[in-house]
Amino acid sequence: MTGPSSGEAVAKPASSGLAWLLDHRVLLSIAVLAVLPWLLPSKALAVNVLIYGVVVMGYNLLFGYTGLLSFGQAAFFGSGAYFTGIAIGRYGVPWFAAVPIAVLLSTCLAAAIGIVSTRTRGIYFSMVTLALAQLVYYVALQAASFTGGENGLRGFTVDRINLFGLQVNFLDPINKYYVLMAFAALAMWFQSRILNSPFGAVIEAVRENEQRARACGYDVERSKLVVFMLSGAISSLGGCMLALHLSIVPLDILHYQTSGMIVMMVLLGGARSFFGPFVGAASFLILEDVISLWTPHWQIFVGAIFVLFVLFLPKGIWGTLLDALDSGKARR
Amino acid sequence: MPRSGSTPKITRRTALAGLSASAALLAMPRLGRAADETIRIGFPTPLTGPFAAEARDQVKCAELAVKLVNDKGGIAGRKVELLVRDDKLNAGEAATRTLELIEKDKVHAVVGALSSAVQLAVNEVTRARGVIYVSISQSDTINEAKDFSKYTFHEALNPHMTTSAVARQTLKKGMKVAHLVADYAYGHEMLRGFKRAQAAIGADNVGEILHPFGAADYSTFMPRLMSMRPDVLCISNFGRDQANAIKQAVDFGVKQQMKIVVPVILHNQRLAVGPDVFEGVVGGANYYWGLETQSKSASSFNTAFKAANGGAIPTDYGAYGYSGVGSLLAAMQAAGGTDTDKVVDALEKLQYDLTKGPQHYRKCDHQSVQSVLVLESKKKSAMAGENDLFAILANDAGSDDMLRSCSELGHAT
Repeated sequence: MTGPSSGEAVAKPASSGLAWLLDHRVLLSIAVLAVLPWLLPSKALAVNVLIYGVVVMGYNLLFGYTGLLSFGQAAFFGSGAYFTGIAIGRYGVPWFAAVPIAVLLSTCLAAAIGIVSTRTRGIYFSMVTLALAQLVYYVALQAASFTGGENGLRGFTVDRINLFGLQVNFLDPINKYYVLMAFAALAMWFQSRILNSPFGAVIEAVRENEQRARACGYDVERSKLVVFMLSGAISSLGGCMLALHLSIVPLDILHYQTSGMIVMMVLLGGARSFFGPFVGAASFLILEDVISLWTPHWQIFVGAIFVLFVLFLPKGIWGTLLDALDSGKARR
Repeated sequence: MPRSGSTPKITRRTALAGLSASAALLAMPRLGRAADETIRIGFPTPLTGPFAAEARDQVKCAELAVKLVNDKGGIAGRKVELLVRDDKLNAGEAATRTLELIEKDKVHAVVGALSSAVQLAVNEVTRARGVIYVSISQSDTINEAKDFSKYTFHEALNPHMTTSAVARQTLKKGMKVAHLVADYAYGHEMLRGFKRAQAAIGADNVGEILHPFGAADYSTFMPRLMSMRPDVLCISNFGRDQANAIKQAVDFGVKQQMKIVVPVILHNQRLAVGPDVFEGVVGGANYYWGLETQSKSASSFNTAFKAANGGAIPTDYGAYGYSGVGSLLAAMQAAGGTDTDKVVDALEKLQYDLTKGPQHYRKCDHQSVQSVLVLESKKKSAMAGENDLFAILANDAGSDDMLRSCSELGHAT
């Protein structure tokens, strides 16, 4: 092993243009996201790509880079959304304060779930995260006076925001997109920093060979817990964005089907790649959006496409594309 | 380069004049078109999932309402278009679809949804953007001041009025009542309605069991319900759950011991399992095609629906689609267009009779005041034809007394 490798994250000799671009992956990703609303059939869909992209990116840190298959990521996505909604609607916190509060509280939740779940490995880890996430679901269902229960959380519409003295109409889809894109950009920068740090190398070492990482003197347990919390924090930011976008929090956001969808998106886009989560979220949502417009049996098509991907493109769309570019360069 | 003096020189002034003239020319058809631009109605409904059968009926009836208006030349010369979207019975999906309908398709109003949570989500999106929303799914919550807005209208019955009508026909003082309830908002609201009606009548509650939404197996609940020895079993659930629960109750011999009562007896579910299972089950309804012997508007609605759908008859939840879209279009007709404030005003003043008799929207909460039917499922030998499913036990004319008072709902009176 020549050291942890991670698709495009590997620093290549900065000779070709491609390598330069890949070294500036955050800027590149932001540039792509900036034109997204003009490429997709609707602005609401573009915002959803942004939101799920951030959620799946957070999950990718856990699943793609550290190799921990969690089935409970919806807990953090949901808690981010619920905490944002409750902070704004119930306690009158301004939106810009509600977001960091929600991320902080969700990170605490991730710490609590992480402490229990990271003690287990393999399938047990998946099952424990699933069970604990279901626990969060039932708490939200039962605490109806706080969360609205089955009917979902309502009554915290943010319609105007104040940006440095500038009044912005937040109901306008374009304004909303670019404000939320700022959050996504922040999350991407943060994720990129994590991956480029020594800690980023450690988690990949844990994924590649846990025993060896331990033998090298790394505290594997603590690394797993920290990455679990970071992953939860980033995914919860996606939840905050959803709450601001839809101005409701549906109970379904905490359902295990949401966790399943997050896993599907990361596999579709490409685990272990920086931009893969956004590609995965976009392709999943576009498929769903476009196909369900002309047939109520859209699930058959989405399911079939997913099966084909798992069988023939296990690295996902983005991962396969990067591989193709890489090998093309090697032949030259 | 040779320069010829004869080439006309284009000055900045002429260029500007020419440009603005051509811009104006291009804009002309747009201005002309603005008057006869189509009126678009968004229609989110769960085409996939356990309520798909009811949702498809809603779409058919909504399309019929649109067609009838278009056949008569539309509204103020403008054609009406219905944009149907699958909300997948998911509140988040419904909110996204509604955003798309408003932002991208620029709909003039939204009608639809078939679950309590979904309609509240749609309502949250539409009211923030000042778009009229006519909900066609049962809910008590949407009437309450917290979720209300001047743009929110509720065409469907609500659990309070349904359960009180059903209880009046089925419960007597001193009767023992047990409940099997789907564990989500719809079930909870129906249970609350039944308990309130029970208390008013003087019937006793002997127990209630919650079952998960979408449950397939009810066998563990039945012995527990039978051991409570009630006279009446109220099963408050919806869609496929209703057929499954009643079928398994019958298998356990529940009907020999007690009467089965449901808040809303569903046409499609009765068709799905046959007459023997449903025989003697009593439930409320907003509409039943057999009303045509009593009501002229029911008869003309049936005729129009049959003509458009190859002789099929309209169903209960379908009728909501028709009256929801129909009342909105009638209000637009009265307002002479789509100006939101004028249409809201027209809806508040509207007296309409589309499927079953006079209806109007109550001023304080925009709940449609309408008649409630109580139906009993016929036994096979009593059926005159394959569509002769129910006997009409009661047809309570609509009145404000059926509803919770405006002050109870938190509206300023």
